Amino acid sequence: MSFKNHQRQQFIIDTANAYTKRKISKRDFLRKMGLAGVGFSAFGMGMLGGHSRGKGLQLGNMAHAAGHSDMNEWLREVGKPFAGTTIRYTSEATPPTVVANELKGEFEELTGIKIEIEIVPLEQVLAKATQDVQGQLGTYDLYYLDQAWHATFFPDTVDPVEYSQEKPELAMPGFDYDDFSAPLVEGISKIGDKWVGIPFDIPIFTFMYRRDILEKHGIAVPKTYDEFTTAVKLITEAEKENGIFGTGLQAKSGHYSLECDWSQAVWGHGGSIFRADGTFSGNDEQGIMGLEWYQELLANAPASSLESTWDGQWQMMHSGQVAMVQSWDEFFPGMDGDDSPVKGLWEMTAPLQGPHTLRDRSAAGFGEIPDWGHQGGSSIALSRYSKNIDAAWLFMQWVCSKEMMVRLTLGGGFAPMRNSSFADPRVLEKARVGAGTTRHLPVVLDTIENYIASEPDMPLWAGLSSNEIPTELGKLLTGQEYGGDAKACMDAIAKIVDTQTAEAGLR
Amino acid sequence: MTDTMASPSENSRSKTRGEGKFWTMPRWLTSEHSFPWIFPATATLIVFGLYPIIYSVWLSLNRRHPVTRENEWNPAWNWSRVFADERVWDAISVTYMYTFVAITIQLALGLGIALLLDSDRKGFGLMRALMTLPLVVPPAVTGMMFLLMYNNSFGVISRTLQSIGLLDPAKPLLSSHETALWAVMVADIWQWTPFMVLIMMAGLRALPKDPFEAAAIDGANALQAFRRLTLPMLSKIIAIAVLIRGIDLFRVYDYVKVMTDSGPGTATETLTAYSGTIYFKSANFPYASAVAILTLVLVIITANIFIKVFKVRF
Repeated sequence: MSFKNHQRQQFIIDTANAYTKRKISKRDFLRKMGLAGVGFSAFGMGMLGGHSRGKGLQLGNMAHAAGHSDMNEWLREVGKPFAGTTIRYTSEATPPTVVANELKGEFEELTGIKIEIEIVPLEQVLAKATQDVQGQLGTYDLYYLDQAWHATFFPDTVDPVEYSQEKPELAMPGFDYDDFSAPLVEGISKIGDKWVGIPFDIPIFTFMYRRDILEKHGIAVPKTYDEFTTAVKLITEAEKENGIFGTGLQAKSGHYSLECDWSQAVWGHGGSIFRADGTFSGNDEQGIMGLEWYQELLANAPASSLESTWDGQWQMMHSGQVAMVQSWDEFFPGMDGDDSPVKGLWEMTAPLQGPHTLRDRSAAGFGEIPDWGHQGGSSIALSRYSKNIDAAWLFMQWVCSKEMMVRLTLGGGFAPMRNSSFADPRVLEKARVGAGTTRHLPVVLDTIENYIASEPDMPLWAGLSSNEIPTELGKLLTGQEYGGDAKACMDAIAKIVDTQTAEAGLR
Repeated sequence: MTDTMASPSENSRSKTRGEGKFWTMPRWLTSEHSFPWIFPATATLIVFGLYPIIYSVWLSLNRRHPVTRENEWNPAWNWSRVFADERVWDAISVTYMYTFVAITIQLALGLGIALLLDSDRKGFGLMRALMTLPLVVPPAVTGMMFLLMYNNSFGVISRTLQSIGLLDPAKPLLSSHETALWAVMVADIWQWTPFMVLIMMAGLRALPKDPFEAAAIDGANALQAFRRLTLPMLSKIIAIAVLIRGIDLFRVYDYVKVMTDSGPGTATETLTAYSGTIYFKSANFPYASAVAILTLVLVIITANIFIKVFKVRF
């Protein structure tokens, strides 16, 4: 993101805050938003008049009532033939799914379609989806698909764009596919030209730090991997006695979270997971450098990093145990909650960059995108085997609609998938310290637009990324094998991965 | 009274009200033929026991193509890999280690506690009832409980061990390959020792009193009575308890899955855990079936050796 763009977003946030606090008039608010390029419909402007001090979110809700009621009317009409149908969706407990589960009653009331959302751990989602597609059972009408699984499930889903053209009578008016962030669609929802699903969640690596601890030690906010390493060591050395470490990791052996950390370490040191010819490249010079850097970080992180996935890393941040983290942006809103011991102390900035140069994506394999911000996004996808495909399609459009995307964001403070949601006044209004804050979203948007990195799109990746790679990494990091030798570990992984890709005829 | 003394054939008839017709139960259902009585159990066994095993064997003889996801008939594909897979050998070693250590400790503790509780004095009944409480906790919940108690930052077990210098804070119990397997076993032992206590208690209560009285008259002390009388007379019970628990331990999954997910590395990866990993994470169902069948074969072989060596009779 250019500095100009950053200033613009900050300007929008400040203006929205000023208006909600009655520091500027409605006229000034609209004028300033106009200057910033944010427009409102005439109806929306009319609704702004209804805003009154102390009713914060009511402004946004009312402003959106128009679009909302149109959508509701349409759903009421189009949903009639499907009343009584039950739709099943299985997902990990991602913030959007959790909030959608809370709000699904509204959809049920409008259409008479019953929604069952099964929220289970990530590996169980994979197992359930795999069994469903293997037997073409149609037990689940909608799947949660992690970006690492897209190539695996690509043949089992219906392209939503094509489906809306095929059945225009069921296509939600004003759904606007172009409103979805293009890098997101490219990175997490498309295989070639096909949309596997609609982007539904975008956790992405950003850099988060404790302002107070950095100030205490006179450390400037790190911008590169080297600066970060130096700062981590310094803080660990100075604060370890107080139970505070420079950083914390999600290094649980055999878990996908470890693979996420590792792949970012490799990309950040100029490497990639695969070469253009499809062979594993984690064992080249840059790959080894990345893994050795990770080992160095681990030595300066709480020992519980070895038993932590993303939940554990979040707890380390929330409990004040660590000072800096390069990890998922979705951690951030929880830090600002009223029950947080570190409320208002965490800040977010763009992911670490340099001093190494990124490997060009043309030199990487299987559609991998080496960059600074590892994305762990997911899509909501329509099962090809669904027995209630049209009813499921209505729910999918509803939950991904502009209105719902904003409300899902407001429900948890996580990043929306639609460009329009970032600029929504209700979202901007929450850009302050407090529960479900959205004050980090400008950085997230910047990272999505400029630094999004993506894991390979290949059918074996679901297994490799959650089994073989993190298991061998776990052996190295816990000293079970390889005697601390990163190269030996990477060579072993290379052997496993290359054998599998060759047997599968992928190279 | 006369009616109730009617012959079985008369009993099996009933008169349809208002129609004056008799309905007779089929002969095979009223005769002493064994078929009607074994059919439900046999059918259940075939559907829920035999069919899944046969299907698994068939599946293990196929190769799953990861791209097309088609299963192709290729009997050698998975089985040649099973024996060349280092993780399988590691898992076999972990499984036997886990089974042997856990069964030994559970047996020793179970017998010891049963001897201590084998009394009719006041309060012992309550103690015996309390002993059974861990058995009613689902294993996955037990795993979660121990997971929390082992947490390196706030877990009561880890913090206690750290405070008395028995645990290095830099090496969390479940994340160190040296301690993880032992830590998982502790949960299993906590939960299943009461089962051993119950079986041993039943055995102790069934022992005849005469030999012990005779031994006491002959001047045998408690240890001698235990070695020469209790243990030999309990041997059949012990053998059966070890067999049942041993088979159960051999296929341990819940504790490993919940507490370590087979880690760190493969330090706690048992055969069933590995099979589950291949199934759920890599979706290679035929290979997972091959590992599962291997587990079954090993259980059968090990159990039969045990039965032969210890002359277990049912």
